[in-house]
Amino acid sequence: MTEYFAGIDIGSTMTKAVILENGVIASVIGPTGPEQRRLANKVMEEALRKAGLAFDAMTYIVSTGYGRINVPFADKQVTEISCHAKGVSSLFPDARTIVDIGGQDSKAITIDAHGRVTNFIMNDKCAAGSGRFVEVIADTVGLKLEQMGEVSLQSNHPAQISNICTIWAQQEVASRLAEGVPIPDLIAGVHRSLADRVARMVKRLKLQKEVILTGGGGKNKGLVKALSEQLDCEILVPPEPLITGALGAALLGKELYEKALRKNQPQEKKPRVLETVQIL
Amino acid sequence: MAEEQKKPKKRMTATQAAASIGPMVKEFIAGAVRAKAEGKQKLAYTFIVCHHEEILRALDVLPVWTENFAGVCGAKRDSERFLQRAESLGLSRSLCTYALCGIGFDQWREELGQMPPEAPWGGMPKPDFMISTGQILCDPRAKWYQASQQYMPDVPIYNMDLPYPLFEKDQDHRDVWGYYHKYIVNELRGLIKFLEEQTGKKMDYDRLRELADLSDRTWNLIHETYELRKAVPCPMGTGDAMNTMVPINFMMATQDSYNFFLNLNKELKEKIAKGEGEVENEKYRLLWGGGLPAWFALNDFNYFNSKGASFPAETTYRMIAPLYEMDIPETKDPVEHLAWRWLGYWTFWYDKARKRPGSEPDVERLINFIEEYKIDGVVMHEAFSCRTWHVGLIWQLHQLGKIYKPIPVYVVTKGKKEKTYRELPSLILESDIIDITSYSEVDTRNKIDVFIETLESIRKNRAD
Repeated sequence: MTEYFAGIDIGSTMTKAVILENGVIASVIGPTGPEQRRLANKVMEEALRKAGLAFDAMTYIVSTGYGRINVPFADKQVTEISCHAKGVSSLFPDARTIVDIGGQDSKAITIDAHGRVTNFIMNDKCAAGSGRFVEVIADTVGLKLEQMGEVSLQSNHPAQISNICTIWAQQEVASRLAEGVPIPDLIAGVHRSLADRVARMVKRLKLQKEVILTGGGGKNKGLVKALSEQLDCEILVPPEPLITGALGAALLGKELYEKALRKNQPQEKKPRVLETVQIL
Repeated sequence: MAEEQKKPKKRMTATQAAASIGPMVKEFIAGAVRAKAEGKQKLAYTFIVCHHEEILRALDVLPVWTENFAGVCGAKRDSERFLQRAESLGLSRSLCTYALCGIGFDQWREELGQMPPEAPWGGMPKPDFMISTGQILCDPRAKWYQASQQYMPDVPIYNMDLPYPLFEKDQDHRDVWGYYHKYIVNELRGLIKFLEEQTGKKMDYDRLRELADLSDRTWNLIHETYELRKAVPCPMGTGDAMNTMVPINFMMATQDSYNFFLNLNKELKEKIAKGEGEVENEKYRLLWGGGLPAWFALNDFNYFNSKGASFPAETTYRMIAPLYEMDIPETKDPVEHLAWRWLGYWTFWYDKARKRPGSEPDVERLINFIEEYKIDGVVMHEAFSCRTWHVGLIWQLHQLGKIYKPIPVYVVTKGKKEKTYRELPSLILESDIIDITSYSEVDTRNKIDVFIETLESIRKNRAD
């Protein structure tokens, strides 16, 4: 009988699901809404549809991310730090530092050769250290979020963004825009400002190579460049930087399941029922 | 609903002694209000860890612990209105929030001519005088009462300076501490003179000697009692110690404090005999390595406990050291003794720190706890408004990781597996002492979850 493992990562902004057999057979990314349980169902259904599998076929499911407790069908909950470590390590065996820039927070993790966490640090207090900062500025300059990276690469003179608060920085960008500062320079300045904040956090850990960037931040080429300059090292990015947490969750589920089998202690499974849950 | 959200979930204590503290604090706050109304005793605003309790009590002065009251406001999640009032007076939120809370409260009480509405546990009465001391480490403790005095211009301040020799790697502190001693004795005698003038009483030096002796015996008893927490499983954690700090810091030089620790000692011995731990199945032993706690979130300790983590030791509020291990000169003069005890306490770890390359007294203290209490990880709290500890904590943790690597692990370097040693894992929690706007329960608990997973992962990877 074929074994399938699923990882579902409910982040503050995006929800991600991965289904694993020997490798990834399906992955889905969708926005996290206020009703996380309902979205967990939706994303899981979509992943199952893509994989052409019934829910019953899932051997073990691990949930992760801020909303991990809101996945009623998950067999186990593991924090996103451990899951990112496992997921990244499976893609980059020489990875030793992971920087995750998500929608509402950023974190840095150091790992060993087995993908085990050795240390971590999180910024969950300030939007200026997260992807939200770039989102707000994208609105201000009238660009789509996904355009920000490419546009910033056209800059030769990144603007100095001195405000350390997202809201004040937004006002600063608006006034610099009115002064006629080119948009690429403004965005490059914003990336540099965010990278500077993230780099300061990362440096509180002992930076070890290779350094991998995950989360939505990994999709922004301008931010990758700025972070690479700030940390003075090459930054590697997974092919899909948003799903490393869900991938790690699925891999950890597989490890747990197989370990339990070896010990002849089968893991208890939650009922495989996708119920719509009304939170309010 | 809003009221329900405002109230914190009650923290469960492991010991009966810790559970008895809440009513005790409530009573001594209420007692101060009663004393003010009766007018029989003089009331002094003052700070903890000044080694002056014996002097106050010998002259029948009732201490009103302003840091304690701010902590109570924080624990009751009722500090915000006093903080906001201080802000409206032009004081920045980035200053010490204990001080802001106290200043906001004082200004409000003086403006009304009575206690602010629904003042926590009856509120803080107006003092007859204020005794401040910044020591070396905490400038708000010198400036706070000056700010409060703007609203109570008729209340005098005595400011004590209590220095101690700073750590020097290549100099024995005993070479210079005689100068410090002379200076501190002078400051304490100045306090006695000030109090004699304020109370109209003369110091009874026999009584002062008796009280100093009572404190000394209490210090040794506290040390012996806290050492019982080395037991596995640990019978009492830091969560409880944030309660039992009350008789150490607010009740010294009283028989009640001594009796409290006699009872706690007995209770802990009984728990140890029965194999009862703070946590039912103790998996991890953690050190609270510093920082004042977030008083509004003490049930985070219960959350650690729910993950199998116990806290057998903490540096915070353990403001005693065994006197019989202190190398201080003997004297029959109680004032001189208090000054020696002060110097003995602050220099307690100096000799040990000098022996370990790269160490410092605070780091040496952490190492001592880690080894003696079989510690698996260190947790610290960066309270943004406590500048005194904020910088030092991070430095201590950094230095600890640099000079002390007790965990054997395997690492793979260029495909080759090698045994090496790594530092103890650590967690830095971030919020404040009483400003709840700095705190997120979800984020804090997420960090705790990750830390527990890290401890588990490191344990699995141990090479011994």
